[in-house]
Amino acid sequence: MTLTVTPDTYNFVAFDTAYTARIAEHMATQLGLDDIDILVAINENSSLTRIEVEVTDSLMTIAPHSGALEDTRRPRQQSELNTTITMARGMLRGRDRLRGGFADAPADEALSLQQAAIWDTYIMGRIAHMDIEVNKQAWVYNFRNRHGFSDAVDAVFEKVWNSSNSTWAELSALSANTVSVTA
Amino acid sequence: MKKFMPVEELARDERFNQITQADRMADGRNALIADSEKSRRSNRLTPARPDASEAARALMHGIFVGEIQALEGAGRTCWDFTTGEEAPFELKLDMARQAWDEARHVEISLKLSDWMGSEIGQYAENTVLFQAACSNDPVLRLAGVNRALEGLAIDVFTTMKEFGEIAGDPYLEFCEDWMLADEVTHVKMGSDWLRKITENDPERRKKALEFQGIVDKMFSYGGSRSDSEESSFAIARRFRELAGFTEDENDRIADLGMQALNERKAQLREKQAAAAN
Repeated sequence: MTLTVTPDTYNFVAFDTAYTARIAEHMATQLGLDDIDILVAINENSSLTRIEVEVTDSLMTIAPHSGALEDTRRPRQQSELNTTITMARGMLRGRDRLRGGFADAPADEALSLQQAAIWDTYIMGRIAHMDIEVNKQAWVYNFRNRHGFSDAVDAVFEKVWNSSNSTWAELSALSANTVSVTA
Repeated sequence: MKKFMPVEELARDERFNQITQADRMADGRNALIADSEKSRRSNRLTPARPDASEAARALMHGIFVGEIQALEGAGRTCWDFTTGEEAPFELKLDMARQAWDEARHVEISLKLSDWMGSEIGQYAENTVLFQAACSNDPVLRLAGVNRALEGLAIDVFTTMKEFGEIAGDPYLEFCEDWMLADEVTHVKMGSDWLRKITENDPERRKKALEFQGIVDKMFSYGGSRSDSEESSFAIARRFRELAGFTEDENDRIADLGMQALNERKAQLREKQAAAAN
């Protein structure tokens, strides 16, 4: 497996490529992704927090916008925690598509906001269970924004957050049912 | 106690990291152009944005620190000027009442931040709002704080109230609606006092309105507020009218917002082109 981080130098942010690569390598090993090449292509021109992921049988490309690795307290500086979480989010999404029962999931840009939210919940729950510091309430809020503000929605959130072996079919059905119940 | 406290001396604990408007504008990254042109039709802060929760959380933290600075601004107006000679007692009473409102808004914004999943100091604090409250003329202070800053608050709270309404978030909608009502009162106080104090001094009134124009442009944050869909929030014309802004004034603020947006876009294009070469 090879892991590459681009770019080498930055114009707008004070990020460190070698540091990012160390975090990414550690995460890839932890997630059992040492049999696939990984390219981390950071988009420093954008301050958004978006993470784009593309995966083929031999290459996983994770393209985070710089806001996803940034220390929000100190703009343009890199945050170790946010870099770790972003690498984990990108790699888990790629791994889900590759071998986690998500082969039939629509492409990222074709996901509805609700589908994206339930998948993010599944991903972030697993990251939290890896003992990485995650603000769970932020993800509860995201899930509620997409599915509704009710106890029933919160119960679905808890179920997904604590799950470690869901498939796309299960998650998409759960999301659709939750939306229809709260609509 | 010291009078006319400079922005650098605002008291904060270690959780806060302060930045200036110059720091913010020095950031050459793009949050406007690429997205609105390519994959997102609008930059408006609505639940339809893919990053809606994160963007709303960041704005809520901005509101929280903005309320702290508004509290400090109104409080300083009570203290900085001599009663009777520089500022009427009744004006100070209004500012004391406003400080009470702002303190309540700080608490409400803090609870909303918890609800939305963020922590005190999670985002950098831009101190530009308090900078508008540093004038040594009480009339300019009113123009900067009560008309420009609180006018901005009307725009922001309207955006957040609508966000809560569309998302079905009962707490956000309710809290923003109540705070919005207070802000309308604060702007009205500023408008009334500005008119009253400068009744026989047109030159001073002109100077105050010019100062408000400068502050309004600063508060457009490089185009974050304008009638364009590329801006995160719009000019809340209806509520501004209730607060005493005329249609002409609202049009002028909208024009300033568009100017700020276009200047920011040009600046970003220049920076990104320079980096690409």
